[in-house]
Amino acid sequence: MSEVKVTKRDRNVIINPLVTCQPLGAMYAMYAMYAISGISHGLPLVHGSQGCSTFVRYGFSRHFREPSEIAVTSLHEDAAVFGGRKNLISGLGNLAARFHPDLIGVVTTCSSEIIGDDVNGFIKTAQEEIKDKLGEKAAEKIKIVPINTPSFVEHHFRGYDNAIKSLVDHVTLDPTNSNDKINIIPGIVNPGDIREIKHIMAMMGLESIMLTDTSDPFDSPLRPGATQVKPYYPKGGTTVQELEDSSNSLGTISLCHYGAQAAHSLEKKYNVPSVVGPFPIGLQNTDQFLRNLKNMTDSDIPDELLDERGLLVDSMADITSRYLFGKTAAIYGDPDMVTGISRFICELGMTPQLVCTGVENKEFVEEMKKVAQEANGIVEIMYGQDLRALEVQLQEEPVDVIIGHSDGRLIDRDLQIPLVRVGFPVYDWVGYHRVPIVGYRGGINLLDRITNTILGEYYDPVHWKLQQ
Amino acid sequence: MHQREILSTEIVKKSKNKSKQLDFDPLPKKIIETIKSREKHMCFKKKGTDSTPQCNKSSIPGAVTQRSCVYGGARVVLMPITDAVHLVHGPIGCASCTWDIRGSLSSTSQLYKTGFSTNMEEKDIVFGGEKKLLDTLIEINRLYQPPAIFVYATCVVGLIGDDLKAVCKEAEKITSTRIIPVQSEGFRSFNKSLGHQLAGDALLDYVIGTSHPPSSSNPFTLNIVGEFNIAGDLWGIKPLLEKLGIEIISTLTGDSLVEDIARAHQANLNIVQCQKSSNYIAREMEKRYGIPYLKVNFFGISDTAYSLLSIAHFFQYPQMISRAEKLIENERKRVEDSIKIFQKRLEGKRVAVYVGGNKAWSLIKAFEELGMEVIMTGTQNGLPKDYKKIKETVQEGTLIVDDANAMELSSLLKKYNPDLVISGAKEKYLSMKMGIPFCEFNHDRITSFSGFDGYINFAQDLDRAVSSPVWDHIKKPLKAA
Repeated sequence: MSEVKVTKRDRNVIINPLVTCQPLGAMYAMYAMYAISGISHGLPLVHGSQGCSTFVRYGFSRHFREPSEIAVTSLHEDAAVFGGRKNLISGLGNLAARFHPDLIGVVTTCSSEIIGDDVNGFIKTAQEEIKDKLGEKAAEKIKIVPINTPSFVEHHFRGYDNAIKSLVDHVTLDPTNSNDKINIIPGIVNPGDIREIKHIMAMMGLESIMLTDTSDPFDSPLRPGATQVKPYYPKGGTTVQELEDSSNSLGTISLCHYGAQAAHSLEKKYNVPSVVGPFPIGLQNTDQFLRNLKNMTDSDIPDELLDERGLLVDSMADITSRYLFGKTAAIYGDPDMVTGISRFICELGMTPQLVCTGVENKEFVEEMKKVAQEANGIVEIMYGQDLRALEVQLQEEPVDVIIGHSDGRLIDRDLQIPLVRVGFPVYDWVGYHRVPIVGYRGGINLLDRITNTILGEYYDPVHWKLQQ
Repeated sequence: MHQREILSTEIVKKSKNKSKQLDFDPLPKKIIETIKSREKHMCFKKKGTDSTPQCNKSSIPGAVTQRSCVYGGARVVLMPITDAVHLVHGPIGCASCTWDIRGSLSSTSQLYKTGFSTNMEEKDIVFGGEKKLLDTLIEINRLYQPPAIFVYATCVVGLIGDDLKAVCKEAEKITSTRIIPVQSEGFRSFNKSLGHQLAGDALLDYVIGTSHPPSSSNPFTLNIVGEFNIAGDLWGIKPLLEKLGIEIISTLTGDSLVEDIARAHQANLNIVQCQKSSNYIAREMEKRYGIPYLKVNFFGISDTAYSLLSIAHFFQYPQMISRAEKLIENERKRVEDSIKIFQKRLEGKRVAVYVGGNKAWSLIKAFEELGMEVIMTGTQNGLPKDYKKIKETVQEGTLIVDDANAMELSSLLKKYNPDLVISGAKEKYLSMKMGIPFCEFNHDRITSFSGFDGYINFAQDLDRAVSSPVWDHIKKPLKAA
């Protein structure tokens, strides 16, 4: 029978944060920018200090190994006194004139929120100026979306949610005719994951509108002749037309709980039915995702997908009882990813002995309690926590394997517990943004990753030839 | 200057004599299409002209500047202090996006690689964050007992008006450890150089001169200022100085301990490596403690040699001078032999440099020694005096740019098509998307480039960047038949 222990951070200081955010104080906006980066010819304009854009760009570059263009209004001391009006208006004007974007997302920060800038008003003025400068037709083509992301409220997942909701609220048009598509809010996942979701949908004969699609922008080919560099716009991303059209979809599935706002907004305003969760990782969660798709569209699950499922089950049969059953894992990071992976861990016969997220979210605890019922042993749930708390706990009660992003690499080294890398950011190993962990095929990837880590750590290579 | 020329002529003359033909008009009316007010921020070095770009102006909003903030500037200077706690007083993001992102190595404590945040939330913005800060400081001291806690102010702190100094003072009384306010509110300036200076102030006012162990019996003592031990750069410099019989009191701040910096005032000389961030500290230490300083540069053979000789001459100790000369002679031969293989492949390659500051001039000679041609150099945060230095260092016809934004960079690279770009992580992938090889010269660097051995690494890294077969594949696209 399973047992659950829940703990919250019991100190003020955060040591080695687990919730990331945009640099210089905007916890939300980092992922607001992330979402905007998934718009075709979309540009984030951060209304704040220069560090707010610089460190995010730096973080994206490290993880995706791709350029990322993020503009900033360069707020300085005078703006703190007189407000950021001038900066935002001229910033929008310059971006419009020089970059000819389809969409600009104005991402606020702690500074602009505290100063109390009337972002909506400034945008209106800027739009008038752009009209004067570029002409009505060109100006109308540029959508400007305000995204309020005060960095001192909650965490970066809320910023993602706010960004997607703002896009839907400001860009989506009233419904006309059904487009037979499904809106997907993927959450903070990798290009490989988004491609896998699209693959699953294509197998079912379904088309999607990704809100938003970071897959091609953050994993783009090196083809100097075929790449637009002045300014740099990667191929792909969700188009403004798709955003406008999202009210005509058959339904919205948010794969993460922190994407629920936009899904609910589409439902409330345009009667687009919505489903939130689960993060489609492992067997049962992917099953549920397919069921959700089927229910929304009445399309069948093709035999090829059942084969993919069978391949995952086959891999589990090959491996689990020999190497994984009874092994313990600690999982940390994004709350939806943690619950998803924990469930998969249970499916493998392992125990998610310790799960940890930086988010102070009761929903996470409730979800984890449900997952824990499938676990074979005690599950300790830490929320609102940081990596130091995780490390201290692991010192007391070690596990066989840790699953999380690269920031836990020193725990791996110091405690000699191997770390399986997943999520964002992974900057120390290569290729992880490309390889999916969602869907049945992603499940196989993750299973292999975990198994090979355990083989390398706990089994003697002398006998590897015997251990088929 | 005299010695420097003698030392460097031999190698530099190769590239000077060649005086390659520039394959573009050296003085076009407009260098690239850009915003009108930005046009003066780029210029060519040309006889009879001023040859320095306009600089030290705030970036144009919406231009996608590559610049950072004041907090970022302060943090890069102080973060390499290994046994200190670096606490960011602000919303979580300022800490979570910047902890442990500098490639400064440590031979002892790893505490500096830990990210600390007061995690300011809405209620702290409304009611002030002072109480939370004080509690946090006491808590950190209980958990780690560090010799110092640096407390960085972020934008929010300046806006809501927390009295950082007062809280630090109170916490210091309670904890009896050094608690050091760094007034680095991000928005204080468009130029992160202010952050460097504020970091300097924190060291000067709260650390340097606070420890008084018995002075060294060695008369030849110095501090290495502005060396951050990126990828172990310091460890390429230290043994050279030790071979001359010099004792290093402290490094500001690479691989340093708080206690060492606290007695930095006991040194007889300061040598300044990063003159962008750290001249200020050296000048102030001269004022406060009468310690003279020398500007040095350990990138490149002749600059390393020149720096060693300057230091030896400073101490006016004949034996040290002859030791230095001997060391240089041996090392020069060894290095020149080892880099031949790379030199062959690098000769004639055209380089574009775009960095934070110091490297825009300190690297130039190192490239020339490899027979490479620097066609463009620039910085994000240069001041007039920095561009003067650049102008004096580069060859005629070199393009000098200030605060080039993303679009200008791609235009410049497209127009002048260098064989190699030297810059940081933000520029790296753009350059490569254009099919131009790239070599990291920033926080992310994993190879030491300092001193003689570092120069071999440098040549090897450049060669790896330029000679990788991948660039040939780009030039030869798939043919259908």
